[in-house]
Amino acid sequence: MKKLILAAAASLLMTASAYAEVIKVGVVGPFSGPFAIQGKNFKAGIDAYLAEHGNKVGENTIEILYRDVPQPDPAQSKALAQELVVKEGVQYLAGFYFTPDAMAVTPLLKQGNVPMVIMNAATSAIVTKSPLVVRTSFTTWQTSAPMAKTARERGVEKAITVVSDYGPGVDSETAFKTTFEKEGGTVVESIRMPLSTNDFSPIMQRVRDSGAQAVFAFLPSGPTTLGFVKAYNENGLKQAGIQFLAPGDLTQESDLPAIGDAGVGILTTFHYSIAHDSPENKAFVAAAQKAIGNPAELSFPSVGAYDGMFVITKMIEATGGKQDAEKAVEAVKGLAWESPRGPVSIDPETRHITQNIYLREVAKGDDGGYYNKEIKTFEKQPDPGLAAAK
Amino acid sequence: MSITNTSATIIQPLPAASSNWLRDLVGIAIILAAAIVGYFLFPNNLALLTRMIAIMLFVLSLDLVTGYCGVATLGHAALFGAGAYAAGIAAAHFGVTEPITMIAIGAVGGAVAGLVSGVVILRGHGLAQLVLSIAIIHLFHEAANKASNYTGGSDGLAGITPDPILGLFEFDLWGRTAYVFGIVLLIVIFVLLRILVRSPFGLLCRGIRQDPVRVSAMGASVKRTLIKMYVISGVVAGIGGAFNAVSTQVVGLDSLSFTNSAEALVMLVLGGVGTLFGALIGTIVFIGVEDFVSAANPFHWLTIVGALLIAVVLFAPKGLYGTAAALVERYRKGGK
Amino acid sequence: MQTFFSIGVDALAYGMILFVISIGLSVTMGLMRVVNLAHGAFAMIGGYIASYAARDLGLAYGLAVILAVAGTIIIAIPLERFLYRRIYGAPELTQVLMTIGITFCVIGIANYVFGPTLKTIPLPPDLQGPVDLGFRTIAAHKLFAIFCGVAVALGLWYLIERTSFGVKLRASVDNTAMAAALGVRTKIVYAASFALAVGLAAFGGVIGAELLPVEPYYALRYMVTFLVVVSVGGAGSIPGALIACLLLGAIDTTGRYLVPEYGEFFFYLAVIAIVWVFPRGLMGRAK
Repeated sequence: MKKLILAAAASLLMTASAYAEVIKVGVVGPFSGPFAIQGKNFKAGIDAYLAEHGNKVGENTIEILYRDVPQPDPAQSKALAQELVVKEGVQYLAGFYFTPDAMAVTPLLKQGNVPMVIMNAATSAIVTKSPLVVRTSFTTWQTSAPMAKTARERGVEKAITVVSDYGPGVDSETAFKTTFEKEGGTVVESIRMPLSTNDFSPIMQRVRDSGAQAVFAFLPSGPTTLGFVKAYNENGLKQAGIQFLAPGDLTQESDLPAIGDAGVGILTTFHYSIAHDSPENKAFVAAAQKAIGNPAELSFPSVGAYDGMFVITKMIEATGGKQDAEKAVEAVKGLAWESPRGPVSIDPETRHITQNIYLREVAKGDDGGYYNKEIKTFEKQPDPGLAAAK
Repeated sequence: MSITNTSATIIQPLPAASSNWLRDLVGIAIILAAAIVGYFLFPNNLALLTRMIAIMLFVLSLDLVTGYCGVATLGHAALFGAGAYAAGIAAAHFGVTEPITMIAIGAVGGAVAGLVSGVVILRGHGLAQLVLSIAIIHLFHEAANKASNYTGGSDGLAGITPDPILGLFEFDLWGRTAYVFGIVLLIVIFVLLRILVRSPFGLLCRGIRQDPVRVSAMGASVKRTLIKMYVISGVVAGIGGAFNAVSTQVVGLDSLSFTNSAEALVMLVLGGVGTLFGALIGTIVFIGVEDFVSAANPFHWLTIVGALLIAVVLFAPKGLYGTAAALVERYRKGGK
Repeated sequence: MQTFFSIGVDALAYGMILFVISIGLSVTMGLMRVVNLAHGAFAMIGGYIASYAARDLGLAYGLAVILAVAGTIIIAIPLERFLYRRIYGAPELTQVLMTIGITFCVIGIANYVFGPTLKTIPLPPDLQGPVDLGFRTIAAHKLFAIFCGVAVALGLWYLIERTSFGVKLRASVDNTAMAAALGVRTKIVYAASFALAVGLAAFGGVIGAELLPVEPYYALRYMVTFLVVVSVGGAGSIPGALIACLLLGAIDTTGRYLVPEYGEFFFYLAVIAIVWVFPRGLMGRAK
């Protein structure tokens, strides 16, 4: 009986969406579960793009289909992507918050003749898995390496790294360490802690004992960052003058209100701050805040999604709405435009986005809210991660 | 606290052998019919149906220890994940890409994991047992995360490219080959398990679930029997995991997660503990509903799934299959 | 030596916070025999109410705590009446199914109502900032949590061992039919102890919010930890839960200091070792 109902519903869906000239884009991301806020940001970025530019590209209409993978689950991601391609007939796959979810889908692209636009997943190697992958977000290497330069410029000789023990954390650690040592600094200790760590006091004790002048940290955005920053303050590291450095995942805008005063003064390097000062960004933030509902929830995945949509519309223009993955990807190689985050371009070789990385400081605004204030720009940064892996 | 006294099933006097075989044949016919109906009704959803088959094998294996032996575990994904990683690593690092060999390697991996978890988990009773199982799954998960050279860590193990089955049937984008392969596996294992649970060994296990003291007084070794069952369960779960690795060509840390274990337990209880059909039905309903609801509303589907689980407890306390079977039974008796 | 004390203080604070949050679960699981996986959900509801009261309405911290406990109990009463009462005495697996269902619903609703962002509960000035202990500094709210833990432990022990309510509760649990025959209104006793457990959950959710921040997924994220400490202690035993929390808190904290890379291994291997020696939990009652 259940099967019958499902079948009836499925066939209904199929007939309803069988119009010509509708170009479907399948977006896979975490729309529920612990990372729901990131998925919400995907949707906000996409909605903002469609609100600004409409859903028509020439004759064709764009239709977005969302699929939920709440936590890293490559098998589920692949099954959903497969379903999107064979059942829903999507011409583009997009989204992908987690690296394993994106990696799992890359073998499908060629067979399905579908390009994939990654709106977040930040491990360098994904773009090498298929020539049909384009990324409009960032890589952990890209955002972590400039921090090492900053630390050296600010006179830090000895640093300690503390990262969550999983792929992106290890990436971030290597990126910082490699760059920092190349610039003549020493990393006295590298701590990897389990993702499930709640109480960071013992870690802070170790940081203190290590005698480092600065601590470089990477944790996935979410509840743990709050505990980490608080532990940094409460265990007297701030008073002891140990500098807090991190890539911008740690001071994601949606976490800032919760971190509050404890976060003021933290230095991060990242590709996008909502406070970026440009007319493009003002327009984007206005549209995206409207799309997400609660303005406090807006943060970096939205800009990856927004630019992802831009890239997809360029692909649709280039192919005239016909399904031709190779031509579509070819068309956006070398594409340069002014994104809300600043000037960006798609590197023709790696198909990853080349962009400015900003050094930011958490500051308190006149309205009492907190924001990431950009204080320095590293211009046109490619992804150093791929070069390092070779 | 143990789940010794959970389900109301009592060992029934053995019915005549012929009627047993008849019921098995009917069972196979039902699975086959459902498989064919599924194939033609959802020709574009085969990826989902294939995933269902892998999970069915997993839930069947959980049923062996939970339903038939009364062991409460929230760590059964250790067995499933071990199978998946064994097959995946063999393919990605050692070039063993023959699918049937991969399944066999997965079965061995699952059996080893079953032995290890069995020895540890059976040490505790009741809640302590539950906690041991939680500890086991976390240790397995962490070990896989650490061994990222082999497992790919949190990035997942990619690069699994199985050969065509028997050199003839290639794995295609639509997932037809994987689906048929899965159905064949499922039927073979289902039949073997039917034979197993009816064997003297299977009955001994059920006896242990109901009264371990009496069984050991009869001279049987409770622990050794249960560990044996755990290894068998590991083989089944390992095959499920390996099949998942073969069909999706990727293995992620989630396959070794607590969430995965807990979901399997929910599916089993949903369908009905202690019956093989319950395990199958629970899986179909849970994954089917989850897929349907989450596609309809990717943002708030969790609430609906939660409400459904509550409804099942209120209106079908023995699980979907158990309650349906009880209704049929009552109807039959009423008819006589 | 200084490091030793320093780690010791951290361990004590962490263990006490675990204790405050999970002791309610020990009551439901050990005394009422309900495997209540929705315990974390109640702690989370408490956290949300306190956050709303203190941050959005600007009420005093103490008042927010009281509102959180009362509010969570009020929300829990209909749940007890219509859902939990159906699963008293049911097989554990059925209870697991029902309470996971409740947890899913609560997560979904919290996500819808409050959004997926972190919610904080602003502390009063006295509890903010570090306190100097002579050999190190510690956050004032951690000292407060230790104090709350001790208070809860003593209060509960007195309630269960020394008051007539405690006697009735233990009687109802050991033999419901007999207790009812002797004139104990078991339904009321069950409802009251359920309210007690839920109130403790809410209290713990608020007190522990500095360490375990409130967000929709809270309900599942920390459930495993609560389940582990309660079971290691032996469900239903207050001293057992206390010892387990302090012991596991110490193991966890030391592990994270000495070998952070293997912190997870350290913790769960210790759990296995403890259960290996005490198969029914530290203070578990044999059946």
